[in-house]
Amino acid sequence: MTTQSVEVLVVGGGATGLGVAFDAALRGFQVTVVEQGDLGQGTSGRYHGLLHSGARYVLTDPVSAAECRKENAILRRMAPHTIEATGGLFLAIDLDPPDFPDRWLRACGECGVPAGEISPGQARAREPLLTPRVSRAFEVEDAALDSFELLHALRQAILDAGGSVLLRHRLTGLVPHQGGMLARVVPVLASGTEPFQIEARYVVNAAGPFCGVVAGMAGVNLPLSLGKGTMVAMASRLTHTVLNRCKPPHDGDIIVPVVTVCILGTTDVPVRSPLDLQIEPWEIDLLLGEGQALVPGIRRHRPLRAWAGIRALYRPGPSEAPTRDLPRAHAVLNHETRDGIPGFVSVLGGKLTTYRKMAEDAVDVVAAMARSNRPCTTASTPLPGPTRRFYSLRLRAKAYTAPPGRDDDSDIVCECEAVAAGPVRRTLLHPETAELDDVRRDLRLGMGPCQGAFCTYRASALALGLLNDPADDGGLAAFVAQRWRGLLPLAWGRGLRQLEFLRRVHTELLGAESAPEGPA
Amino acid sequence: MKSLIVVGAGLAGLYAAILASSRGSPVRLVAEGRGGLSLSHGCIDTWKDGDVRLGSTRLAPDHPLRAIGHRPLQAALAAFLEITTRAELPYVFDFDMSLHLPSPLGTIHTCAAAPRSLAGGHLADPTPFHLGDLAQVRDFSAALVASGLRHRGIPFSGTLALPMPVPSTAGRPDLLTLARALEDPAFRESTCNQWAPHLQGVERLGIPACLGLDRSGEVFDSMRSRLGVDLFEIPTLPPSLPGLRLERALRREAARSGVELIEGPSVRGEVDGRSGGRRVSGVVATTAGGPRVFRADAVVLATGGPLHGGWLTFGNGEVQESVFGLPIHAPEARERWTESDPFASQPYARFGLRIDDRSRPIDIHGRPYFENLFAAGGLLAGADRAVEGSRQGIDLGSAFVAIEAALA
Amino acid sequence: MTATPQSVPSIETQLAGYPFLDADLCLKCNVCTAACPVAAATTAFPGPKAVGPQLARYRQPGAPPPDPGVAWCSGCGVCSRVCPHAVPVAEMNIVAKGQIRPRGLRALRDWGLSRPAEVARWTRPFRRIVAAVLGSFGFRAALEGMVGLARTAPLPSVATRPLRSLLSAHVREVPTDQASGKPTVAYFHGCSTNDYEPWLGETAIRVLEALGVTVDLPPQVCCGLPLQSNGAFDAARQRATFNLAALQAWAERGLPIIGTSTSCTLALKHEYRAVLGLSGHAVDAVSASTYDFFEYLDQVLRVPPGSLDLHPIPLRALYHPPCQLRSHGVGTPALAYLQAIPELELEISASECCGVAGTYGLKRERYAVAVEVGRPLFSQVAQSRVDLVLTDSETCRWWSERHTGVPSIHPLMVFAASLGLQGLDVARGEPSTT
Repeated sequence: MTTQSVEVLVVGGGATGLGVAFDAALRGFQVTVVEQGDLGQGTSGRYHGLLHSGARYVLTDPVSAAECRKENAILRRMAPHTIEATGGLFLAIDLDPPDFPDRWLRACGECGVPAGEISPGQARAREPLLTPRVSRAFEVEDAALDSFELLHALRQAILDAGGSVLLRHRLTGLVPHQGGMLARVVPVLASGTEPFQIEARYVVNAAGPFCGVVAGMAGVNLPLSLGKGTMVAMASRLTHTVLNRCKPPHDGDIIVPVVTVCILGTTDVPVRSPLDLQIEPWEIDLLLGEGQALVPGIRRHRPLRAWAGIRALYRPGPSEAPTRDLPRAHAVLNHETRDGIPGFVSVLGGKLTTYRKMAEDAVDVVAAMARSNRPCTTASTPLPGPTRRFYSLRLRAKAYTAPPGRDDDSDIVCECEAVAAGPVRRTLLHPETAELDDVRRDLRLGMGPCQGAFCTYRASALALGLLNDPADDGGLAAFVAQRWRGLLPLAWGRGLRQLEFLRRVHTELLGAESAPEGPA
Repeated sequence: MKSLIVVGAGLAGLYAAILASSRGSPVRLVAEGRGGLSLSHGCIDTWKDGDVRLGSTRLAPDHPLRAIGHRPLQAALAAFLEITTRAELPYVFDFDMSLHLPSPLGTIHTCAAAPRSLAGGHLADPTPFHLGDLAQVRDFSAALVASGLRHRGIPFSGTLALPMPVPSTAGRPDLLTLARALEDPAFRESTCNQWAPHLQGVERLGIPACLGLDRSGEVFDSMRSRLGVDLFEIPTLPPSLPGLRLERALRREAARSGVELIEGPSVRGEVDGRSGGRRVSGVVATTAGGPRVFRADAVVLATGGPLHGGWLTFGNGEVQESVFGLPIHAPEARERWTESDPFASQPYARFGLRIDDRSRPIDIHGRPYFENLFAAGGLLAGADRAVEGSRQGIDLGSAFVAIEAALA
Repeated sequence: MTATPQSVPSIETQLAGYPFLDADLCLKCNVCTAACPVAAATTAFPGPKAVGPQLARYRQPGAPPPDPGVAWCSGCGVCSRVCPHAVPVAEMNIVAKGQIRPRGLRALRDWGLSRPAEVARWTRPFRRIVAAVLGSFGFRAALEGMVGLARTAPLPSVATRPLRSLLSAHVREVPTDQASGKPTVAYFHGCSTNDYEPWLGETAIRVLEALGVTVDLPPQVCCGLPLQSNGAFDAARQRATFNLAALQAWAERGLPIIGTSTSCTLALKHEYRAVLGLSGHAVDAVSASTYDFFEYLDQVLRVPPGSLDLHPIPLRALYHPPCQLRSHGVGTPALAYLQAIPELELEISASECCGVAGTYGLKRERYAVAVEVGRPLFSQVAQSRVDLVLTDSETCRWWSERHTGVPSIHPLMVFAASLGLQGLDVARGEPSTT
């Protein structure tokens, strides 16, 4: 087995892990990230898309609120292309506790989170589908943050700074070794590649819901609370502003416009395993019901897809309370002082909006261990610009206006999300692309209303010719099965029709047969 | 002659309307939209693994083919062949043999009957064949067909690329445009000139379905003889031409036999108050200007299954037939309606109306809800058509039985 | 097609780029794409799904439709009718298309095409001169070059006197007193019958009176459909509001509103709600009370075709139900009455649309496509060697006559002749007196 050496090994390629690697690279460390899946396959890609203004936490967690405000402003400067400045509204409706808005507004002032009241009429002029029952409305600086775009920018930034990011590499062992640590890494999917070892001076555990597993490998007990949050994407962008309920935080009280869809989020259910992503019918009913309270027509629209992500919060004491009520502020654990394992640090908790601050705090600990006094510069170092051309509403719509014909970039493969053959080809040729689902995460292939009913066959034909070692159906059955899973929680009414359409096209018309069991 | 209202314009509805109308019955066909034919391969599936006549097939007790019966199914197929021949869309059918045709993924599609242009792909035919791709066309891939066949050990001679001959003025080239264009003899001739040089030594050739829309017989015959190649078609993504051709042929045939087609309105059923609730009197259509009543001696529901709304499902676990509001049995917990593998049999696919041997919907005690209400096609319970490969057999068989009974 | 009124947000909301509530019901199944007659005629039109429910997700508030391809939509309504999932495809596309307006002199053309009543009023004093000038090929060529009015597009001649002046005795501000117990209806003639084909209105009233019906001519202006088709939604809504206020009196008394122009009656029944976004009691009452002429005979008067004493009409005719009539969702009510006429040999049109779709085919930039859309109908007419084309919409008649050379008249004209109420002058369409 071969062994590589690196100064800092980061476990986990979500926003936190990539943020840590970027920060460390800027401070002169030689870094490598190992991520078990593709970019955005974990919690960072399974979130609602909200860049918090902080207003949501002013009463329950003022520290987080202030942090969100600060990080929100930094991210807008450092990675503007990942953000759509939708603005946000906090809305009280006539059913909500009437004393809440004033208390909340006062707290916004105390935390320095900007919030300005507008009339319910102004709010409805801005968002015509809003309920007439709005009694108070406040503008805040929420925005839509495209986490896929952010992850891509971070990875590019790490590569530019001389670091490396190993996707589809799973950590299977982590032991103290000569003052640092020795990690055993198994490549996933890539055939013919052997497991290898990485010798690292420092290891930062940023594995999100898996950070307990990673810590366990090194013999460290990390008390965690895992909370599952379920989200529903509606087929259309029904609002152009982030909508929040102005009441004590609760399940299902936000609506975030994201590219072509809008997302209703989220529930919060304690779970035992980071793999426990099963969605319960009551969660869907609750999200749609709460969405209905803000946008009364929502039940006539089609919920497109549901998914869940797992948040991990550090919980030193035993409790069964919802994770929502735990402080959102993140934790950085120095296992050298805490557990006597030199060079080992865990960072957990927090939220996507504050990923940069989490990274900064974690790398500060590493820097202290290394007796380095180089300061964090991520708050003033812009991230690389957009790398994926079809990832904004405006640019996508352009694909439709391009002169039709022989051009690979106007020849649409996925009609719902306006994904052309050119980008699909280029993505398939990328060495890190292993399956159609990777193309989906990069281009939104198959994420529109028909959920892959048409584009799967077309993309499979391209994949058959361009992927290394494709399945005999170009990966069609596996992609259909993956789309199917997201439709299952919504399989009634029009959702069942869409589900059956997907099945009927693929089984009866195209003759698809079940895919052989691939590696998980 | 008894008058009839047929609700639904898919295969079962169109076929039922033509059967009744050609026997002299005044027929109104009311449909909220078009049915599933343009999503189908255009072939007639009766049972995937086994005897097309179902002689040896073991059917579950509540399977609709069991209520239909063996002989009526054969009679239904014979009547279908007669209608499609009249409509100049002849089908190939042999009672003693199933057809095994290559699917767009190179899997094997087993069916009882197929349009002439598809039947030429019968895999038991020893003539070696090539697979032809059309440049620019995204809705079909010869490479995927080839890969599937290779994976299953089915021999073929190779793939070749043909130029896409749609006019240069055309925008995104698609197969429906090509099919329409090929109905023009001059365009056909120039296409053959473009294709011929690529077909040296090719005996038999599978291409994406594109050989004409309303005059496919003429296009097929003339191109086959002009190219000197035994052409056959393979279905593609929707709109699937073989299915679309069948839909259009049946619609023409319906109009020709005097069926009045009312497209657009949704309908609800009307029970005959004077009959003590034992009979239906017609339907009330929600037209552009409000409700309009259409009455007839019998009503045939051919409103489709989970895709087309013959029965509706609700988030609270309720399932209801959509025209007369007949109850449909289903587990209350909606997570039990589906399986996590899309290619496995799905519980929801078996929801629907149960029928008696006259194709009348029956309640849990086996009694018909109404003396003169009949049901056919996708809304019948007890079959997962996608997995069994039984869709068109159920459509034709149940429609045939319903019309026999309704006009008796 | 069956969009219910509460499913339609205000037109301002729709125009602002918010999705139609029912757009999400689209499964992308392509049934509409395969059925669209314009997409069949030109690949310049990506099809109703592509520019409709699919693209609706890309529309942003205040921004024009991202794909100008929607301008190719003729508004024939086939897509909404064939959709198995009740998506109002045509309605969405008419609204989106309304945001793409021609500039310069073509805007002037569209202004004129949307106002047939005004054009008739202004040109009536000079009708002979206007007819002569419009009959000159040279002038039409110049007009095509200037404003883009297709040089060979059929334009009707203005009648000497409008229907309302010919039948002023029938004009009523309020419904006729119901004491007589006779059925009473309001006749919505629309501008084409009032100004261009008054004989059709006279015939309608003659037939209704022969069947014992009292006919009122209520106050009315153009239904507004030509304005709507040309994107002038505000002006269309003004006309609609006037008509609703006037017709409400009949509708509220349960008196049917009868039309012989299928496009006008479709506007009253459906477009006021589903495209113009009007709501309220008047629009519901008028919609529910409006009937096509033969639909009224069948559904309200319940006249069995077989009960009538009909004279033979020894002619061969092709019946073409206009796309607008099909959008009523009532089938082809004229057909049963035509089929009852002895010796009338009937062939049924196999086409969804004749191509002109109101004013679409009159425009130079759409003319060739509109002719292509109509070609199956034209060939059927030629092959079947019929003496007559019967169709319920005036623009279809003018268009079909121009492209087939076979006279085209309203089915009512044949029906009235068969009832023995008047003669049948096939060539001119105007009845001779018996």
